[in-house]
Amino acid sequence: MEEKKLGLFSVVSTGVGLIVATTCLMSLCQGSAAIGGMFIVSIILACALNMITAASLAELNALMPNLTGGLAQYTLAGLGPFVTLVSMVGGYIVCNALMAPSEGAMFGLAIVELTGTTIPSSVISVALTVILIIINLRGVDMFAKIQDVVAFLLIGSLLLLGIIGAVGAGTGVQVSQPLNLTNDLMDGVNMAAAAFWLFIGIEFIIPISKYVDNPRRNIPLGMFLSLGIICIIQIFMLLGLHNYTSWSELAASDTPHILYGISLLGDVGKAWIGIVTVLAAISTQNSVINSITKICYGMAKMNMLPSIFQKTNKHGSPYIGILIYGAVIVIIEATGLASASSLSFMILVASVFWMVSYIISHINLLVLRKRMPKAPRTFKVPLGPVIPIIGIVGMLYMIVNISTDPAQRALILAIDAVIFVILAVYAAFWTKFKLKMPLFKPLSIEKVMAMENPMYFEVRKRAALRKKKEKQISMPTT
Amino acid sequence: MSISRVEIVTSMSKMDDLRIELSKIGVTGMTVLQALGCGVQKGAMEYAMEKNKIMEMLPKQMIILIVPTEKVAEIEDVVKKCLYTGHIGDGKIFVSEVTDVIRVRTGEDGADALT
Repeated sequence: MEEKKLGLFSVVSTGVGLIVATTCLMSLCQGSAAIGGMFIVSIILACALNMITAASLAELNALMPNLTGGLAQYTLAGLGPFVTLVSMVGGYIVCNALMAPSEGAMFGLAIVELTGTTIPSSVISVALTVILIIINLRGVDMFAKIQDVVAFLLIGSLLLLGIIGAVGAGTGVQVSQPLNLTNDLMDGVNMAAAAFWLFIGIEFIIPISKYVDNPRRNIPLGMFLSLGIICIIQIFMLLGLHNYTSWSELAASDTPHILYGISLLGDVGKAWIGIVTVLAAISTQNSVINSITKICYGMAKMNMLPSIFQKTNKHGSPYIGILIYGAVIVIIEATGLASASSLSFMILVASVFWMVSYIISHINLLVLRKRMPKAPRTFKVPLGPVIPIIGIVGMLYMIVNISTDPAQRALILAIDAVIFVILAVYAAFWTKFKLKMPLFKPLSIEKVMAMENPMYFEVRKRAALRKKKEKQISMPTT
Repeated sequence: MSISRVEIVTSMSKMDDLRIELSKIGVTGMTVLQALGCGVQKGAMEYAMEKNKIMEMLPKQMIILIVPTEKVAEIEDVVKKCLYTGHIGDGKIFVSEVTDVIRVRTGEDGADALT
């Protein structure tokens, strides 16, 4: 029987579900509290830049269809193994190592707010992570079944709460305050980096393209619609925040989204947004632990990470990866993320990695267009190189303006630079001595496509073993 | 009006998509042959470490279209997009001239025999 394929609606719901995380609420509330309604400019700008990235990714997907790795494989074909290692390890693994504890912190803060417990929120975050590590070690992805429901709950709740607040239909007292805290458009432009986090993750749609009906149309369209819908939801939320929550209280709160729930609908609103946050934070942290350790497993299989990440326990879980990654999350959570300011700092640090990997995607597109101008594409970004270049410039602008506070900006860029240097050293050594490949020599598209076949590495592994045996036989015995 | 012959050699799995896409652009007929063959890889699988020394025959299909020459560019574009996967073995398109076509039932010839 032919498998039923996913339609445009499923692509859009998957896309929206993958992008929206609870930490987005924090970014939205912090950004709105800083410049008020002008943050809409930041939201629209960040959305537009992410749409440009989606367009580049859609063309790369048309050029190298049905790949499971997405960005890593595009970069391997576009810019070679060194950049792939830096961007994949940096852009994904490190970035997600920062994202998972942020979700844990959101969980801890929400539990404290909901229950009024005196247990520190960092302890609650660590407890959640430890439980999720154990669950993942046992190979039980119990949240995979409810993940879609939770994502739907979160998005539906945000939309409803946003609309109720925007039209003034809440039961709480409306606040009289100016919509804009600044009239300078450039403030909105400069805050785009803070709004960037609201839209990240559109590339996660790519791996499902092989299960999608008419992917040539539905993948690009699904990406654009997902981003557009999120943009509208966030604008509604901002208008609701303006109507029901004072900007100053919002800025001072560690759980601004729960504050909004209380201001809008009283205890009902608190319970509503609180429970949704808790469920969504658990689901997101679990899926990040699960997917990142699988990515590490896959990269180790492709010889891009140490083979230790390939080790699995009797439940089939890559336990070394889960333990190492889990330990990193626990350490970050334990060292204190439990305040809105440290959480947004962490989000901005992670955003830079993501922006760099999006810049690399645009460069990949330009390089592959130059190398294979005649390759048939079912989707092509119009206006030649103009749009990808705008995307690159926009991302660079956001990196340079990652924070409006110069001291914080310098610290964020310094942390990112240090991590990138460490990654570059690792990537250089690994490529030269382990992969034994030139650092910047890209692989042909056919070779990268062939790597999708599980037999590719199996054949090479067997050949290497055979060679080793032959060498041992030919060695003189003493 | 000049007439061209478009021959497409590709894997067996592409037939349905191709049939639908070509119908959409008004191609009125096609002939499909089951074939055995190989290209520059000499029939080696894409994951193999090196090319075969001796040619291995793989199951393929050859689709033959006889169409007005002015339609060839559009057909090439549709076929390329339809067959493209980026993997080795996507296929090849050959275009050549046809000097005449005769419909036996009516005796019509040239482009008239194609409509």
